Amino acid sequence: MSKTKIYWTGLDQLHNTPEFQESAENEFTPATSAEHLLESENLDEGTTKRRDFLKFLGFSVGAATLAACETPVNKAIPYLNKPEEITPGVPNYYASTFFDGTDYASILVKTREGRPIKIVGNKNSKVTSGAINSRVNSSVLSLYDSARAGSPMKAGEASEWETVDKEIGEALAKLGEAGGSIVLLTETIISPSAKKAIAEFATKYGEGVKHVTYDALSASGSLEANQACFGVKALPAYDFASADVVVSFGADFIAGFPNGAANAVGYGKMRDPKGGKMSRHFQFESNMSLAGSNADVRVAIKPSESAEAIISLYNKVAKATGGNTVGGGNSEYESALSQAAKELVGAKGKSIVVSNSNDAGVQTIVNAINNLLGNYGSTLDIAKPLYVKAGIDSEMTQLIADMNAGKVGALLMHGVNPSYSYGDAAAFNSGLAKVGLTVSFADRLDETAAGVAYLCPDNHYLESWNDSEPKAGSYSLTQPTIQPLFKTRQFQESLLKWSGNDTSYYNYIQSNWAGIHAASSNASMLFNDFFNTALFNGVFDASSEGVVTEFAGDVNAAAGSIKKSTTGDFELELYVKAGMGDGSQANNPWLQELPDPISRVTWDNYIMMSPSDMIANGFSRLERGDFMANVAEISVNDVKIKAPVYPSPGQKKGTIGLAVGYGRTAAGACGNEVGVNAFSVAHGSFTVGAVTVSKTDETHEIAQTQSHHTLMGRSAILKETTLSEYKADPKAGNPDALLYVSSAGAKKEESHGHGDDHGHDDEGHGHEEDAHAEASHGNPYVAANKVNLWDDHAIGSGHRWGMSVDLSKCIGCGACVTGCGSENNVPVVGKEEVRRGRDMHWLRIDRYYTSDMTEEKAKAEGVGAIDKFTAMEAAAEQPQVAFQPVMCQHCNHAPCETVCPVAATTHSNEGMNMMTYNRCIGTRYCANNCPYKVRRFNWFQYHNGSQDFSKNPANDDLGRMVLNPDVVVRDRGVMEKCSFCIQGIQAAKLKAKKAGRKVADEEVQSACAEACPTNAIVFGDLNDKDSWVAGNAKDERSYHLLEEVGVQPNVYYMTKVRNVVENEA
Amino acid sequence: MRIASILFSSLLLLAAFGATAQDGEKLFKQNCATCHLASDKALIGPGLAGIEDRAPSREWIVGWVQNPDGMIASGDAYANTIKEFSPTAMTAFGYLEEGDIHAILDYIAHPPAPKEVAVEAAAGPVEGESGSLDENTLRNVLLAIAGLLLVLVVILSSVRKSLTSLLSEKTGETAPEELGAWGSITNWLNMNRGWTGVILLVATLAFLRWGVIELMEIGVYQGYKPEQPIAFSHKIHAGQNGINCVYCHTSAEKGKTAGIPSLNVCMNCHSYVSEGPSGTVEIAKIYAALDYNPETKVYGDSPKAIEWVRVHNLPDLAYFNHSQHVVVGKIECQKCHGAVEEMGVAEQHSPLTMGWCVDCHRTTSVQVANNEYYEDLHERTPAWHDGNPVTVERIGGLECAKCHY
Repeated sequence: MSKTKIYWTGLDQLHNTPEFQESAENEFTPATSAEHLLESENLDEGTTKRRDFLKFLGFSVGAATLAACETPVNKAIPYLNKPEEITPGVPNYYASTFFDGTDYASILVKTREGRPIKIVGNKNSKVTSGAINSRVNSSVLSLYDSARAGSPMKAGEASEWETVDKEIGEALAKLGEAGGSIVLLTETIISPSAKKAIAEFATKYGEGVKHVTYDALSASGSLEANQACFGVKALPAYDFASADVVVSFGADFIAGFPNGAANAVGYGKMRDPKGGKMSRHFQFESNMSLAGSNADVRVAIKPSESAEAIISLYNKVAKATGGNTVGGGNSEYESALSQAAKELVGAKGKSIVVSNSNDAGVQTIVNAINNLLGNYGSTLDIAKPLYVKAGIDSEMTQLIADMNAGKVGALLMHGVNPSYSYGDAAAFNSGLAKVGLTVSFADRLDETAAGVAYLCPDNHYLESWNDSEPKAGSYSLTQPTIQPLFKTRQFQESLLKWSGNDTSYYNYIQSNWAGIHAASSNASMLFNDFFNTALFNGVFDASSEGVVTEFAGDVNAAAGSIKKSTTGDFELELYVKAGMGDGSQANNPWLQELPDPISRVTWDNYIMMSPSDMIANGFSRLERGDFMANVAEISVNDVKIKAPVYPSPGQKKGTIGLAVGYGRTAAGACGNEVGVNAFSVAHGSFTVGAVTVSKTDETHEIAQTQSHHTLMGRSAILKETTLSEYKADPKAGNPDALLYVSSAGAKKEESHGHGDDHGHDDEGHGHEEDAHAEASHGNPYVAANKVNLWDDHAIGSGHRWGMSVDLSKCIGCGACVTGCGSENNVPVVGKEEVRRGRDMHWLRIDRYYTSDMTEEKAKAEGVGAIDKFTAMEAAAEQPQVAFQPVMCQHCNHAPCETVCPVAATTHSNEGMNMMTYNRCIGTRYCANNCPYKVRRFNWFQYHNGSQDFSKNPANDDLGRMVLNPDVVVRDRGVMEKCSFCIQGIQAAKLKAKKAGRKVADEEVQSACAEACPTNAIVFGDLNDKDSWVAGNAKDERSYHLLEEVGVQPNVYYMTKVRNVVENEA
Repeated sequence: MRIASILFSSLLLLAAFGATAQDGEKLFKQNCATCHLASDKALIGPGLAGIEDRAPSREWIVGWVQNPDGMIASGDAYANTIKEFSPTAMTAFGYLEEGDIHAILDYIAHPPAPKEVAVEAAAGPVEGESGSLDENTLRNVLLAIAGLLLVLVVILSSVRKSLTSLLSEKTGETAPEELGAWGSITNWLNMNRGWTGVILLVATLAFLRWGVIELMEIGVYQGYKPEQPIAFSHKIHAGQNGINCVYCHTSAEKGKTAGIPSLNVCMNCHSYVSEGPSGTVEIAKIYAALDYNPETKVYGDSPKAIEWVRVHNLPDLAYFNHSQHVVVGKIECQKCHGAVEEMGVAEQHSPLTMGWCVDCHRTTSVQVANNEYYEDLHERTPAWHDGNPVTVERIGGLECAKCHY
């Protein structure tokens, strides 16, 4: 049943260019440092001459020798009065809440000695079920950002709170008396207490106070549609875990979408083929999005065709369910839409239709489809909706008009950066200059704050008290985990102060929660107990029933109101990257270096273009090893932006994509001038419409990681099958790797394998005898895992830590990569070093493209070799995508261990491959011998404070506070790799030993498993027969990466199952 | 001399007041010391030094101690004056006989002299003076002898030279060529090749041995005994007063570091004990750090942390956890830290080298019994069922990544 599909990592591999062949042979990317350094024009400009160098060398050798003989004097400074809950060296976890205007997450903050060092999900939350994404777990680094404002500022100069308070207070009072217009411009606010504080502020300053909400990633269309259909200005809460059929029109509902991480949890549950049931996912989109890359059926359409396709789907569903059809809906994607409609109707009440459109008309029709399918009340919850978006675009347009007309007396801005993120930033800026009093609560002197009179910096959320109501009736609390690092003050406290209310915001929240307490079923509890329980749990769910409203949308009017998107040679659709989001965390180097899930490019945004369009327009498809992209200029109306062009198989021909969140100019040293600002062409909507694209003579260096660390070319890297095949045979797509064993070889083998250990389990020597028996029965092919060249470790004894990675559930989001970096102090190396193939991530997510054409199909249909590859190339326009996280496989017969000359990498009796940094002398033999290419070499001292690595957080005192004190910061010249988070294993074992009990399953979690929203990565003890991971390891879908190499890894992969039907779309 | 005189005078005192003062001290500690000091410092009640000069008479004091409320109620003028001292009324000690109270008053009037320990502790952190003095003297004597011998060699060679020249003058032979000091040495070396080889060999070996020893000592600070900002004595606290180690080093049972106690732990006792055997100076440093006024018992608002000098410095690359060893391994603190209860100044007892760690891991048995974790692991590991003890080594205690990650 197996198919030998052909996978390729990029066009270079697909076309097998000579450069690719060469780089696959090489351990490292050829653009290495020596040549680069020698070619550098600045070489002669260095101030250090050879003689000086030798002098310094001599001096430092002498100094080091002398220093080594001196007793270092270290100070130990105890607390004056130690808080009871703090024990030095023991982490404390505090429940808190992350909200950045798009993603809401209930979190646990890990603190050590009073500093937050890591963020994990809070499984108590019913809204997010413990899901986080890379932006959430990276946000801890944004706390230690030295670009944050250190104090309040007046006209860009540092000032004091007293001065600022006095002057703003006076100005506001004057305006209030005169009845002038005071506008509070904020991001979506989900905090009930903050809303109350705003109301109090409005009462104090009279009728002229107005609160305008502005979302950079706007969901205005949905909000207006829901207002019209249900009378609720909010978004429905999606339950993907109950959705058998999902149809998405451009919506990347697991990445850039409001509450995306939480959606991923439910979505992941339905991607598990166990039990023979999976969701069916149709995606109609132009850019290859994260959701699209996971879809079973992905149809590439132009943005301008989306509305018609939705109307067509509506009509088909309406016909089948007896609803009223509307005019229009002529779509050229008839067959796919019919199929989707058929399956949607077949799964009534258990499906979801979702769109990214910011047009209220389109969203009304989407609502109508969901209504016809009876999804409201089952998979879509509008009775208890999500409040994570509240901005209405027209209000912002009106505000800017008012500002320019001089009608606004004061503008107070919180959580927004319109000078960067608003399409018509020039209009905003000119309006801003006409406002009498301008105040920004931004955490730094950002693009907007640079133009205001007063900057009153807000605390980072990890320094703040707050509460949230992301979903009706679901509350959560934010509590500070560290004292404010700078002279900052919470936005809410500033508002209260200016309203003449001197209570602390903490007390203010408590008094506000008295109401929630009184109305709850816990009213009999003492308030303090109630509040502290909620604080401990992080969340509180009121038991109130939602308000059920009937659908009252006017589909005909909506269909008529849809704005037509302009068409041209190229249509531009903006998108949100899974890592960068809206760019508010652009100065976070973890996010900048996180490879994009699809393109695997770091430190950049770029125009995504179909490879065939690139050929037609003369753009380089980056198949050469230098990764120099041609720069194109795109122009929309009068706005022109230049960006490199990057090939994106799956991109709809005639469309291009560009990510927002880049091109910041005042984010900080790390985020400034990285990429281009795509917000500048967005006018209310991410569907920009027709643009002209012209090639320039410029080229741009791209730092992408897919071609790095290419696995040795063997067959069993990524295995996949379809649901129907899986149901027929659970082992479908996962045949055992076979090896040819000659009988002579078998005899020779016999002298090995009878090790002195007593711990042989079913992978021990017993199998070799089977192997020989099989081989001697005339079949020389035996399963690869039955052949053994080495003596076995006692793998059946004690603990054996292992991992399973379910390729079906992995959505490629990258939360594991940043989670791993945060836990293990993985350095950030910067764009130049990434280009040289020296990224340090211990965990990479390989992205593979594949198509329908297989070796078998070619053979069966008699397609010749050349035609076969031609067919594959054609299919590259519409590839299937698969993600595969690869970390150290912790082989039981590790090839790295045998080649280390100094025994710096050795085997643990708990199954792990250990790396001892202080023994390593940096020969890199281990990296050469690793078939998985998971070892990383410290080419430089990334933490020595040099300018070259200024982007690495460990380079300044503030950034260093994020380091995990339980993990060593590696020095130059040593090898490092995934350790299975051994610090966590040791800590959990110690806890169990102290309590005199066994280690519970799931008690030990690697950082990647902990961060994974879909539980694709499961970690545990393989020798604990009842553990989750041991169950996964025994599953028919489980296999080892490169099984035929015989290194017997402790990481198991599980075959990817796609819910596809043969010969469709 | 000073010690002798103090001892002598205390002996005299003891001889004079022996019996009563002993009883008085015991009675004082049992009954009064919770609230009163024998000095003029106030605790909960006033300091009792010179009480007999203040109170109307001994009889009055006896009456007051046995029934203070009665004295106040009777309208006694002095009783009503001293009740203003504190809102806390004094407890009645009706069970104390008149003789007991007299013994206590005698003890207060003539407290015994502080013991010898006090003098040593007062001397503060002085590193073994006498020992190093001896070594210095020896070295100086040796240097002097070497110098004398060198002078002797110079004199003798010049004598020899003049004698040779005299001899050659007499005999009329030509004097042998003048070689000079260095020349004569090289000449001798040339003449005695065998000895030269032996000397070179010995010198090289000695140098190498010296080098190896010196190199092995780099980074090993066994015996490190830094001067601390407060002359804290473990001998007094852990030794004489018998305070359990984990009373102060609480996190030894919880976390990786044993922890230096925070000042609030010190204040559990030192809010009452403001004077140690060495006087008030060292304890006053705690008060100064906390900005605490022992007279008014009020904490100020500008406390400053005490910067202790860390004695045990394990490099960052090695992970060590106290609770693993103390709670799970049930190892006595003294096994690694030595007899801390006898240390006036804390010092590093063990070398803290990896070899030292590993040696112990090789020989120490894991306490499998009564710990479900180890029992389960033991069951799952057939290799351990061979009757030999399960040492830390056998559970992986010698593996790199058990401590280095």
